[in-house]
Amino acid sequence: MNACVWCGRRLGGVVTVSQLWRWGPLIKSAVCAACQTRLTPISILHCPQCGRQQTDETICRDCQRWTGPPLVNHALYVYDAAMKAYMQQYKFQGDFALRRVLQEPLRLALARETYDVLVPIPVDQATWQQRGFNQVTGWLQTQPFQQDLLVRASHKDQPQSAKDRAARLRTAQPFILAPHAADILMGQRVLLLDDVYTTGRTLRHAAAQIYLGGAKAVTSLTLAR
Amino acid sequence: MTNNEAFFGRQLPLRTAPTPELTGTPALKALGSRLQCQRCGHWLGPDDQLANQAWYCRQCLQLGRLTSQDKLYTIPEPNQSPKLANGGLTWTGELSAQQRVAAQSVLAHVQAQTNHLLWAVTGAGKTEIVYPALAWALSQGWRVAWTSPRVDVCLELAPRLQAAFADVPQTVLYGDQPQPYRYCPLTVCTTHQLLRFKAAFDLIVVDEVDAFPLATSPMLKRAIDHAQKPSGCHLYLTATPGERLQRRVARKELAVTYVPLRYHGHLLPQIDLQIAWRWREQLRRRKLPARLIHQLRGYLRAGQRFLLFVPHVADLAVVDQALHLAGITGGVTVHAADEARQEKVQAMRDQKVAFLVTTTILERGVTFPNVAVVILGGDDPVFSTAALVQIAGRVGRSAQFPTGDVTCYCHSYARRVRLARGMIARLNLQGRRQGGRP
Ligand SMILES: [Zn+2]
Ligand SMILES: [Zn+2]
Ligand SMILES: [Zn+2]
Repeated sequence: MNACVWCGRRLGGVVTVSQLWRWGPLIKSAVCAACQTRLTPISILHCPQCGRQQTDETICRDCQRWTGPPLVNHALYVYDAAMKAYMQQYKFQGDFALRRVLQEPLRLALARETYDVLVPIPVDQATWQQRGFNQVTGWLQTQPFQQDLLVRASHKDQPQSAKDRAARLRTAQPFILAPHAADILMGQRVLLLDDVYTTGRTLRHAAAQIYLGGAKAVTSLTLAR
Repeated sequence: MTNNEAFFGRQLPLRTAPTPELTGTPALKALGSRLQCQRCGHWLGPDDQLANQAWYCRQCLQLGRLTSQDKLYTIPEPNQSPKLANGGLTWTGELSAQQRVAAQSVLAHVQAQTNHLLWAVTGAGKTEIVYPALAWALSQGWRVAWTSPRVDVCLELAPRLQAAFADVPQTVLYGDQPQPYRYCPLTVCTTHQLLRFKAAFDLIVVDEVDAFPLATSPMLKRAIDHAQKPSGCHLYLTATPGERLQRRVARKELAVTYVPLRYHGHLLPQIDLQIAWRWREQLRRRKLPARLIHQLRGYLRAGQRFLLFVPHVADLAVVDQALHLAGITGGVTVHAADEARQEKVQAMRDQKVAFLVTTTILERGVTFPNVAVVILGGDDPVFSTAALVQIAGRVGRSAQFPTGDVTCYCHSYARRVRLARGMIARLNLQGRRQGGRP
């Protein structure tokens, strides 16, 4: 009764030689081999600031247009049709089980990042009520994180996904710092975690608040760009 | 539509009661230590839980997620539709003598409220055969659903039914339909959409009952049972019942009406079997069986248009190359996920292309007058017995061109090909008794 969490096909109980070789506990994969190749990892050729997949390693046009302190973002996957289909089922249809598709890749990516405090982007109260989960913290397993950001109560706006670029860039600061956040953030290197980097507006708003809390440095990691 | 009408015979998930007098039942019901989804029947797994501790059903997610916070609200079907004189039938066509006999039999079973199978060969005009029974049901004030597992069948059917029953309000439901739901005496919908109903229909017509995914889905079979009133009945329509349905007929658990002849009175074309030993190895070297090349060249010379079926999407490009190398040109390839699918099929209709190379997507529904059919690799498991009979049924559909060739190239004489030929032979035997012409 072990099925791929994404496509539902039965997972073969095949044990590879390399798994035996490592002689550790066998990791039960939640995703079949075919589904593991559905998403496109971002290669070494990406924008050094926002993590966007491109043909060279120069700073992309969107990043050049930003003024103010730069925010370095790393991204795991290209936001293509397969990733959109994944997000559609996970976030919008609310299929929480799909968190398991990205838990393991995220664990490996977090291990490569340098930070002291991990701060996931929060969801507002209405979304939490409706969806029943925060899509970002769903991807975390045992990694410690701090919910230092809250969504402003007055922030009753359209979702980011329903806006065009210009409208997104005008969005007002949606976040406030959680009570006592400064005790945790003071002098720390903070890594923000979000699902999709689209314009970078949301992450920059979040970074601004984290800096207000006294953080020494803020970078970000997103699942898709 | 009054607010209440939206709930007639339906089960709609809401977190709070829409009106105080309506009481809901939990969308997920605990039975022993497990939870069962009351919409689709799925038993929840131990991990199907959200971060806020609520449980949710993964199986019917496409219809909108059901959680343990939701309740299902329903108002028992009150049959408020007016009884239409003549059942709203405005169709002025005429049934053939054979169709009339079948229509009478279907009508009698519907009147007796018994479940029934109409086994009508491809091109028998099964939709029209059901018209008298549908008209009678609507004249009684019955609520009727005409459903198919395939959305393309629904989309093709809905305008035909609306034209034939111009006086009957009809609602069409499928995955991303643009129209909102309306309470109507006639509902045309995909079988999935029946999950939103509960004891609503006096009669459910299940079109292409053998088609994927209904044939393999317990959820969809349950959906039909639940959407039907306990006093109601269903009518299965198919040209190619699966083995299970045939067994139920043989055991007399299910009454059946056969229509072994096409509406123009000709028999079905039999599948001509050609052994093409190791055709797949040949194809890897971009070569097709010599006899196939000879046959297709002959078709091109004679101006005979044809459909060439291959097992897999991956075969299309290879076969296309091999055809080019053999000088057979003027056709296009098309498959299910092809973005230009509609345009290519239309180009074939408009006689702008000489042939289509395709996978099993064109097995149903799509018809062209006067085409020959060739299957390369008919012994591949993707071609079920039903699919082979359906593919053969693309030939000889029009009264003007009632005959034609069906040729199947196989590495070996597979069981499914044998069963398909057997089914055609049996139907033709019955057809001959009714005066069918070859
Ligand atoms: Zn899978
Ligand atoms: Zn950039
Ligand atoms: Zn369900």
